[in-house]
Amino acid sequence: MADDDLDLNSLNDDDLVSQMHDDLYDGLKEEIEQAVNILLARGWTPYDVLTQALVEGMRIVGEDFRDGILFVPEVLLSANAMKAGMAILRPLLAETGAPKVGKMIIGTVKGDIHDIGKNLVAMMMEGAGFEVINLGINNAVDNFLKAIDEHQPDIIGMSALLTTTMPYMKVVIDTLKEKGIRSDFIVLVGGAPLNEAFANAIGADAYCRDAAVAVETAKRLMADRQGSVQARAQA
Amino acid sequence: MSDAETLQSGRRGHGRAAKRAARMAHAAATVPFITRQIPIYEVLNEEGLSLIEQNAETVLEEVGIDFKGDPEALAIWREAGADVREERVHIPRGLCRRIIREHAPATYTQHARNPARSVVMGGKHTVFAPAYGPPFVHDLDRGRRYGTIEDFRNFVKLTYATPWLHHSGGTVCEPVDLPVNKRHLDMVYAHMRYSDKPFMGSVTAPERAADTVAMAEILFGADWIDPATGKPRTVVTSLINANSPLTWDATMLGALKVYARANQANLLTPFILAGAMAPVTVAGSTTLTLAEAMAGVAFTQLVAPSAPVILGSFASSMSMKSGAPTFGTPEPAMVMYAMAALARRLNVPFRAGGAFTASKIPDAQAAYESALTMLPACLAGTNFILHTAGWLEGGLAMGYEKFVMDADQAGMLQTMLNGIDLSENGQAMDAIREVGPGKHFLGCGHTQANFESAFHGSAIADNNSFEQWDAEGRLDQAQRANAQWKRMLQDYEPPPIDPATDDALLDFMARRKAATPDSNV
Ligand code: B1M
Repeated sequence: MADDDLDLNSLNDDDLVSQMHDDLYDGLKEEIEQAVNILLARGWTPYDVLTQALVEGMRIVGEDFRDGILFVPEVLLSANAMKAGMAILRPLLAETGAPKVGKMIIGTVKGDIHDIGKNLVAMMMEGAGFEVINLGINNAVDNFLKAIDEHQPDIIGMSALLTTTMPYMKVVIDTLKEKGIRSDFIVLVGGAPLNEAFANAIGADAYCRDAAVAVETAKRLMADRQGSVQARAQA
Repeated sequence: MSDAETLQSGRRGHGRAAKRAARMAHAAATVPFITRQIPIYEVLNEEGLSLIEQNAETVLEEVGIDFKGDPEALAIWREAGADVREERVHIPRGLCRRIIREHAPATYTQHARNPARSVVMGGKHTVFAPAYGPPFVHDLDRGRRYGTIEDFRNFVKLTYATPWLHHSGGTVCEPVDLPVNKRHLDMVYAHMRYSDKPFMGSVTAPERAADTVAMAEILFGADWIDPATGKPRTVVTSLINANSPLTWDATMLGALKVYARANQANLLTPFILAGAMAPVTVAGSTTLTLAEAMAGVAFTQLVAPSAPVILGSFASSMSMKSGAPTFGTPEPAMVMYAMAALARRLNVPFRAGGAFTASKIPDAQAAYESALTMLPACLAGTNFILHTAGWLEGGLAMGYEKFVMDADQAGMLQTMLNGIDLSENGQAMDAIREVGPGKHFLGCGHTQANFESAFHGSAIADNNSFEQWDAEGRLDQAQRANAQWKRMLQDYEPPPIDPATDDALLDFMARRKAATPDSNV
């Protein structure tokens, strides 16, 4: 709760949106949920709530994180608040046919238990509005396939911190190819011992050196995809 | 006088040739492992230490610790009296301590194939080993790149040639050019063949640990079994990391059991990035480290009572602003002091430290951060200091120049740990009497007898005049280190090995490699 007993209903739209930017910054989950509902009740489209209130608020968070003003535990709370807002908006966005932010499954590959970086990526992706299904550590290809079936993601994220487990990423990608479904997904890979050349060699769509780059890359590739989906639909 | 020094002509010899040869020799001089002669630096008193011990016992009993994916481990704990719920082991207060104090050896000898290079772990001793695990290597000429088996061999050779490193280490860099399922064979062989110092074994799968033990048995041949105990001699020490918080996993437990049952040493280390893997306070991460380490060490003793073991602590912290691991910061140094004292109260050898840094290159950040971890590690009374030389970039890169710089520092620290010589020669009263007021000491008998070994000289520091430094090309420390490692590799001569043993090792490897296809997964 905010320190004072502010009634969000009493704010006009502009002030409410500014307040939401502050509340996201401060990681106030319930306040964000409440405000999202208020804007929807006032007739805002889900897409406008998403872009003007939430995404813009998280853009500010991201900027201050990058500039070293915000700390990781604070961004975690902001991301949780964002996630709560998104949970309300997501079904409505789908109904209204708004462009999809995107759904990602992400896991550490088989044999590897390093998960701190992967969890940071998951957090930042949620902060950017993506729906993230975190598969945890030590994921064999079957786990990825099962999650693909169950969640129908747009993005498959893999993390590895060991040179002995990195090559397993190729096993996953090759399996997707064998099944003829590789091009249905954006495949992003990351982890400190990887590099761009490795990602290219195994047939991933991109290497992400850190969580912020993962978010940017995911947004860019989602936009490309939706562009191409739309282009295809128009053709 | 050696043959080389005896001249055909019948002259006395010595003179320039002999001295040049002796002073230029970069051969692998044997400097024994350290027996510390200075007091241990304590940061916590009895009250503080027992508070942390109490808290660690509470963690083990109340919160419990996971032993994942290893039903045998759970059965062992149940048998020992722990309350096992699914994979979570709740260990009654005092049980770990009792098991450790009853069975774990306070010290052990890790035998080297050259007995002069065997080391004693524990007690007043300190053993330095090179960095472990980096997938990349870095040098001034070629920059940063993935490590190869050639780099691996180079670092084994450099370690062999460095008097201040007493131990050959383990994964001195990752040979990314070899298949994942077989590279351990070439790594273990490199330690055996290109060095005669003690080394570490493979832990990334139980069968790779078993290969390490099999190769050690071949290498030691008739010396493998100690007739006094009927058990294998301890010739390998291997690194078993906890997956903090509060988890030991099947991979590590599998390797641990192979080694313990073969009477080989396990080094149990909670490697903690405080903030992510432990609370952000020194006391909190020390408590968690102690709880995890005690459970791991006690487990080795349940698997194989009196199997040699080291209690480890790898403390680092995470930048709360970016999530990046940080090294060489003051809080982890405090954890190290506290953990060293806590290990002493368990009466087991202790591992910590290293020349840690997050810097990418051998620069001032690298030097400061490394010094601020190595010094406390030494003052804390640490027995085994892994990562003494080469560490860059949070362990992602092994640096050639950094290696030489760190090894140089290790020599300095060794001299410091040797303490003050109070013998008659050390007191030097004869020198003071001989010289008296107003003259100098350079020519007196005592100086003549002692100058060569009097001060620990750095091989790479520049202490000359500005003009000389200028004339010599204004080289910085890293550039001088660059010349040094190249010289060391050039001068390297492998220690002799019995050809039959070598053949047997190569044959074993060839058979193991032929048994399964290459695989990277
Ligand atoms: C879309 O998808 C994406 C996109 C971006 C992605 C992404 C996925 N994943 C990551 N990113 C990117 O975004 C993140 C945020 O910005 C970044 O993630 P990072 O993970 O890089 O960064 C994190 C925020 C912080 N960084 C980290 O968390 C990793 C730090 C280091 C020090 C490290 C740690 C902490 C650990 N370790 Co490990 N460990 C090391 C690491 C050395 C290093 N400096 O990286 C490394 C990777 N480990 C190593 C080793 C050897 C090992 N470790 C082991 C164990 C552990 C701990 C359990 C102790 C612990 C992990 C705890 C945990 N829960 O994750 C063992 C293996 C266990 C296993 N089966 O996996 C063991 C084998 C050690 C042993 N003998 O027991 C080395 C690698 C060796 C190699 N040859 O490849 C190592 C370089 C350290 C070293 N020198 O030994 C980016 O890479």
